[in-house]
Amino acid sequence: MAGTGQTIRTSRPVLSAGIRSFTFHGDAAPALEAVDLQVVPGTLTAVLGPSGSGKSTLGRLLADWLPPEGAGTLEGFLELAGTRLQFRGREDPRINPAEWGRHVGFVPQDPAAVLSTVRSTVAEELAFSLENAAMERPAMKAAVEHSAALLKLTELLDRNPAGLSGGQLRRLAIGCAIISGPEVLIMDEPFASLDSAGAADLALLVEDLVRRGTAVVVLSQVVDAPLLAAETWIVLARGTVTASGPPVELLGQGQLPSGIRSSGSGPAAEPGVHQPAKAPDTVPRAPVLELRGVSFDYRPANRTGRRRRALREATGSDRRGHGVLSGIDLKVRPGEIVAVTGPNAAGKSTLLRHVNGLLRPTAGSVLVHGTDITGAPAGETARSVGLLFQQPRDQLFERTVLREVQFGLDRLFHPGEAAARALAALSAVGLAAAAPRHPAELPASGQRLLALATVLARKPSVLALDEPTVALDGDGLALLDAAVRSAAGEGAAVVLVTHDLDYARATAHRVVTLDGGRLNG
Amino acid sequence: MRLHPLTSLAAAGSTAVVTTAAASWPLSVAVMGAALAVSVRVGTARRLLPAAAVVLLPLGLSLLMVHGLFFPEGRTVLGQWGPARVTMEGLAFAFERAAQLGAVVLALLVFSFSVSVPDLVAALSARGVHGRFAFVLASTLTLLPAIAARVERIRQAQESRGLVIRPGLLHRAAAFRLQAVPLVLSLIEDAGTRTAALESRGFSNPGPRTSYREVPDSGRQRVLRAVLAVSAGAAVAARLWLSRAGG
Repeated sequence: MAGTGQTIRTSRPVLSAGIRSFTFHGDAAPALEAVDLQVVPGTLTAVLGPSGSGKSTLGRLLADWLPPEGAGTLEGFLELAGTRLQFRGREDPRINPAEWGRHVGFVPQDPAAVLSTVRSTVAEELAFSLENAAMERPAMKAAVEHSAALLKLTELLDRNPAGLSGGQLRRLAIGCAIISGPEVLIMDEPFASLDSAGAADLALLVEDLVRRGTAVVVLSQVVDAPLLAAETWIVLARGTVTASGPPVELLGQGQLPSGIRSSGSGPAAEPGVHQPAKAPDTVPRAPVLELRGVSFDYRPANRTGRRRRALREATGSDRRGHGVLSGIDLKVRPGEIVAVTGPNAAGKSTLLRHVNGLLRPTAGSVLVHGTDITGAPAGETARSVGLLFQQPRDQLFERTVLREVQFGLDRLFHPGEAAARALAALSAVGLAAAAPRHPAELPASGQRLLALATVLARKPSVLALDEPTVALDGDGLALLDAAVRSAAGEGAAVVLVTHDLDYARATAHRVVTLDGGRLNG
Repeated sequence: MRLHPLTSLAAAGSTAVVTTAAASWPLSVAVMGAALAVSVRVGTARRLLPAAAVVLLPLGLSLLMVHGLFFPEGRTVLGQWGPARVTMEGLAFAFERAAQLGAVVLALLVFSFSVSVPDLVAALSARGVHGRFAFVLASTLTLLPAIAARVERIRQAQESRGLVIRPGLLHRAAAFRLQAVPLVLSLIEDAGTRTAALESRGFSNPGPRTSYREVPDSGRQRVLRAVLAVSAGAAVAARLWLSRAGG
């Protein structure tokens, strides 16, 4: 059933859209064209597409997070609960966002964007929309407890939302979206960055919501296992629907573009190709990176109060008082790829921040090329260590893509070489054409690759990658894989942290597990 | 028992008004002492004292300069340098004013350092104060930690790419210029998404709203607040009446 808008449903759709075109103000080409979809109560719909295919734009339009009258020109219609709004690009109807929000809940790709930032506990954050609707307190309490139980947030109700880990934050964002019982729930890449336990919990929740009659729409560039149970898949590519229908049909016909990858898979390549020609263990060489008995906790003595709080919020760590890392020993030789796996909030990101000196161990030492980096400014360690942050928004801060890659290069190379290296690094991740654009304009996968380019351009002898696969589509993953292998081939030591065990096994020479602050394996 | 934020606000406000109206230095000094004692008791003294010093030292010094040296009604001259005369009366007046000011500032600081902002916001919105005002009030207090966390993130990103920041406040301050532009741009970008999120959660609803946070209140506290308000009014009235009768 290829084509658009041919799905025939017996049940009436609660939300439907017939988008002839949607063009952002200032853009010549439309971001979406000929997109039709109907969302039926009690069903799961997956909108699949590679990064930059227009999924997020579609999701935000459907949720009125991108008000058509303000952000661009919409031609077509949106229909919610039997009311059709026709848009022609002028004198268009205005949508009341609060009214729309009661029917359509939305969880954006970055869950932190949902938070009101003025509520001091998770419970109050959950209750925010109910307060605004003037719900009486007993009913509000019951609703908060119910949603918290659904999302396993009960233990966290009294915590400050600013200190939650990435996975917890996503659960809170979903809670905020479903607490007022919307008929439609739209989630943008909800499974990204969740560990397998978190993803399984979310899959159960989706199943439960669908059973209760909610229409759930998941936007994704990865065919996560729960999406196989969807009634309908809608495949987007370059802003238009290329195929739609039940998953079985689409999989059978091979209608998925190459940019969409299936869950947990590495890039398609022969197993033999995965191994670098020379296994690093055959030639014993001195380790480039060595961790000796590294322990760490967010102790008051380690930092002053306000700095420590800012740090904890900046790193998203939620562990207080007790040891995050205890007695970590790790040696990585030139050309070796080591993967560190472990559940969400196990301290994996904290471990990586020790490798480039952003965090100092409370005990033990970190050696790069045999020199203890403890006490050296992180900026000096950055000469030999490159760190890819978990969130591109933590790594990118410049006005253009090119400036972003060039930052700091002038300290290492003379101006001509710095520019050449920046362009070479951009070409290596397929972003040469995007050089003059603003990093925030890139799709999630592009932002991730840009962050990778900023690290690669420095040619570090230690590459530390924090969840490198998250937010990458299939093509991006292939680029990442090539980059990591070529860096290792040139003698860099690579430490990558991932919750994706399959990827770790496919890529690394050695897999170790971080759990309860200790390294095993 | 936990004090309702409006009760502590009423206590601080009426103390400030009564002390100002009374203009008696023994009362001012007593109030200052009491404020400090309360602050030590609730454990805010370490944050309060520097803040109080920042406000009061320049004010106290300027009072001393103006009144201590140039007090026209001064009779008992302690020293003289050209047009400047240090008089007993001038010093007494400067001290009286400084004590009065000190009492007011300390009373208000004790309140602002000990009040729970979420409680205050909840109490205000329960009394029909518009949601936007409550939001702005809360934002002013949550914004600073949020900005600090953001600067820290940007700084870490820059350090990871070779920006060398040596330890110490001065180096940090010098490096801040590199973080300022990214900070402002990212805050603006954030504001756009945040607006969509807030609007879809009914933030602009014109109707009444409720509060999830419970702020315990009691009849006794309500009476106390009324008494505090009346006594502040009475002190002002008495002051006006006395000055009219005297003048």
